[in-house]
Amino acid sequence: MVTFYLKRIYTSFAQHILDVPPRLLALLCFLLCLLFPITKPKSYALFIMALANLMAIFSASWDLLVGRTGQMSLGHALFFGIGAYSTALLYRFYKLPIVATIPIGIFITVLVAVLVGFPSMRVKGPYLALVSMAFPLIGTGLVFYFRQYTGGEEGVWGLPKLFPALGRYDRRIAEYYFTLILLLISAIIVYKIANSKTGVVFVSILDDELASKACGINVTKYKLMAFAISALFAGLAGAVYAHMLGIANYETLSLSLSFLPVILTILGGIGTIYGPIVGSYIYHITDRFVLTEMNIPDVWHLLFFIVLVVIFILKWPRGIARFVTDKLEDLSEEREIEERGPHIWKKYKRKKESTHEG
Amino acid sequence: MFEELLVLGAITGAMYALLALGFTLIFGVAEVVNMAYGAIFLLGTYMFSFFSSLWKVEELGMVTIPPLYVILAVILAAIIVGIAGSVVYRFFIDPVVEDLIALLVVTIGVAIIIQQLIAINFGHFHYTVSLYVPGSVTLLGVRVTITRLLAAVTSIVLFAFVWIFITKSKIGGAMRATAQDREVAMLMGINTRRLSMLTMAISSSLAAIAGILTVASSTQITTPYIWTTPLVLSFAIVILGGLGSIKGSLIAAFIIGYAEVIFMTFMPGQVSYLRGAFALVVMVLVLVFRPRGLFGKRIELEE
Amino acid sequence: MHLLEVENLTKRFGGLTAVNNVSFHIDEGEIVGLIGPNGAGKTTLFHLITGFLKADSGTMKFKGENILGLAPHKIVNKGIARTFQVVRPFRHLPAIANVLVALKSPRGSRKIEWIKTPERKALDLLEDVGLSEMMMEPAEILAHGDLKRLEIARALATEPDLLLLDEPFAGLNPIETDLLTKSLRTIHLDGHTMVIVEHKLRALMKIAKRVLVLHYGEKIAEGSPEEISKNKKVIEVYMGKVS
Repeated sequence: MVTFYLKRIYTSFAQHILDVPPRLLALLCFLLCLLFPITKPKSYALFIMALANLMAIFSASWDLLVGRTGQMSLGHALFFGIGAYSTALLYRFYKLPIVATIPIGIFITVLVAVLVGFPSMRVKGPYLALVSMAFPLIGTGLVFYFRQYTGGEEGVWGLPKLFPALGRYDRRIAEYYFTLILLLISAIIVYKIANSKTGVVFVSILDDELASKACGINVTKYKLMAFAISALFAGLAGAVYAHMLGIANYETLSLSLSFLPVILTILGGIGTIYGPIVGSYIYHITDRFVLTEMNIPDVWHLLFFIVLVVIFILKWPRGIARFVTDKLEDLSEEREIEERGPHIWKKYKRKKESTHEG
Repeated sequence: MFEELLVLGAITGAMYALLALGFTLIFGVAEVVNMAYGAIFLLGTYMFSFFSSLWKVEELGMVTIPPLYVILAVILAAIIVGIAGSVVYRFFIDPVVEDLIALLVVTIGVAIIIQQLIAINFGHFHYTVSLYVPGSVTLLGVRVTITRLLAAVTSIVLFAFVWIFITKSKIGGAMRATAQDREVAMLMGINTRRLSMLTMAISSSLAAIAGILTVASSTQITTPYIWTTPLVLSFAIVILGGLGSIKGSLIAAFIIGYAEVIFMTFMPGQVSYLRGAFALVVMVLVLVFRPRGLFGKRIELEE
Repeated sequence: MHLLEVENLTKRFGGLTAVNNVSFHIDEGEIVGLIGPNGAGKTTLFHLITGFLKADSGTMKFKGENILGLAPHKIVNKGIARTFQVVRPFRHLPAIANVLVALKSPRGSRKIEWIKTPERKALDLLEDVGLSEMMMEPAEILAHGDLKRLEIARALATEPDLLLLDEPFAGLNPIETDLLTKSLRTIHLDGHTMVIVEHKLRALMKIAKRVLVLHYGEKIAEGSPEEISKNKKVIEVYMGKVS
């Protein structure tokens, strides 16, 4: 009896993950990530990887909104920052514990997203991009103006840590695993949404909003939905970040933070959900370890990545992760062609052509 | 009080007008939202500072630059930035003009590249850009430094110059035609790509000069990281004025200039942080309630 | 009661009057053709009926209900579906997903036959238009003729009472034209009322029972295909005045 169910689980697992090359790859990567702390890395390295996990969540949320639904967001830091400030201020003024401040903080973020979303719905394309850029700037202005509540430039200090009972190194390990699990759960949820029928509607909005309306879709409703879901995960990342660092300041609303998911997602592959995750890892590992080891001063790091981003977007608009999965698909398709013959070749060729045009 | 607001608003408006003009041009003619516009603005100020520091003269313990060299520095900075803008258009913008997300990302990328290059060459922190003309003048009972007056007057003169160029010259006519209907312009034999490159050059030069005048006449110090402020400000003005309308940009520039001055005077507390936010709120309101702005064309069909 | 009743509909774009005081009605079960030279305002009329453009004046009633000023997606959910002159597929989605989008609309997801899953319904619709083989192909690689049929399947997914087709025969070769004519006849027999804009008059006259003619935004003629083909004004408009 037990063996029957085990077999069922295994078959399902094999069907859904092992047989799908990209997912198998993802599983292997995840296992590697789980094993990472065994190599006894430095405390700082663990910190950076935990940060990478949070930024991956942040960027995946951006990708859902921009890459999947086509709503440009150049001010995503707004949600991150509100997540951070909400949890911080809830602690500062009401002394609530983390288990309360983080969820409430996320809720507030989603609320703000819906509020900000309403005017954003009315604008498209570059106007939407600039409106989205405006909000965190307005937010930063407000943070400084109401400095008696928000702490101005200094921000809100002394936030409770995530694992206060542990010693410093152990805490870093715990934070690493915590953020990793959060990343896994967030990635799975976002992935499932992106591939559900709702996700299909999102893509229809990305592709042709007008045609989507012609299919009877209330596009505004779905856009708000995408906004809210995206804000939820961005706020989550922001709130956890605040408690990992112990402070929440105006940098959580900063423009460079708004551009970070753009960089990470382009590097990894826009429109996929794993793209931003891959991008986050590539970025953080390269930035903090590779480039620093090579003794390149910090200011050159950003230049390096931006140049990469510009090259990527000009040459491979679909990003590296897509490139890899495309190659994997090509391999299986080429095998199929050999087996099924020339009439598949036409279909394959047309696909190649349109991908190059698109 | 009233006279102060009047004069201050006028000066602010004049400089905003020049700033917005460059943005309107490239948006109207090439349909490009140039996210790097603010960075180009900043690049102009750094270029100017670089050139003027080549020709500084120490006299009686004071560092000054002969006025002729100041003008030369401005012109050189404008030309170099203009050429740079043209190159950026040709190699970065033109390939992705069709794809909006790619265009936005590329232009932001260029902005950050400029930001980092400036930071590498000139340092992260405050950098002094000096364009100081001693003395002041009293207008309507308000004391105005000659520097600021000169900056405002230069802005207006330059604005008028460009306006005349656009309305009277042949190339200006081509620009207007392309702005109105790109396809028809192409059919009529206008090389829209080359025209866009030229427009980008002009736009960038204007941004550079606007940058020099603004920074040098008010705060005099700058960092490589504040390029978003002129960008969103330009955008707010252009949106309010109506896309593709030069007249609109002029009027909107003064409206926002005055509104900002009034707002900052009457709001309690440390208002300087809210300054940028103000223009942004205006922009959001305009986009939501009257997207075509004051003088823009009506945005019709959903497509 | 007429299914669709349009009275004195007018739409201006600045100085140009694209649709000028047009009135007509469509009854249930009809196939009505809408013809006229380029720029006559046919597509504009479609945009007006489906809510993509707002009329300056006039009235539009669908099943007795006023639909003027309603948002496009609301009009679809009332029962009017359309295709576009230039196809607008969802390029990144496979064919079946294109149809699934329409099935996610309130009207499309109504449980009329609640044994079927949306995927099954989508597949059935693709079969109806002859695209079931292509169901997993991303729309961006489909041929033009397939895309036209996909768009029809998508429109049918919302179970419309009135189907507006904008140049469905454009770009089709004779074989495809024949197939489409057959499909349209079947769709009609299924109970859908249709208004078809077409330039390929021969194909249109084969299936339309009544024809409206627009010229410079005005309705200049109305009648059966035979009447229209003999109408002097219509011939003038298409051939140019013989001076």
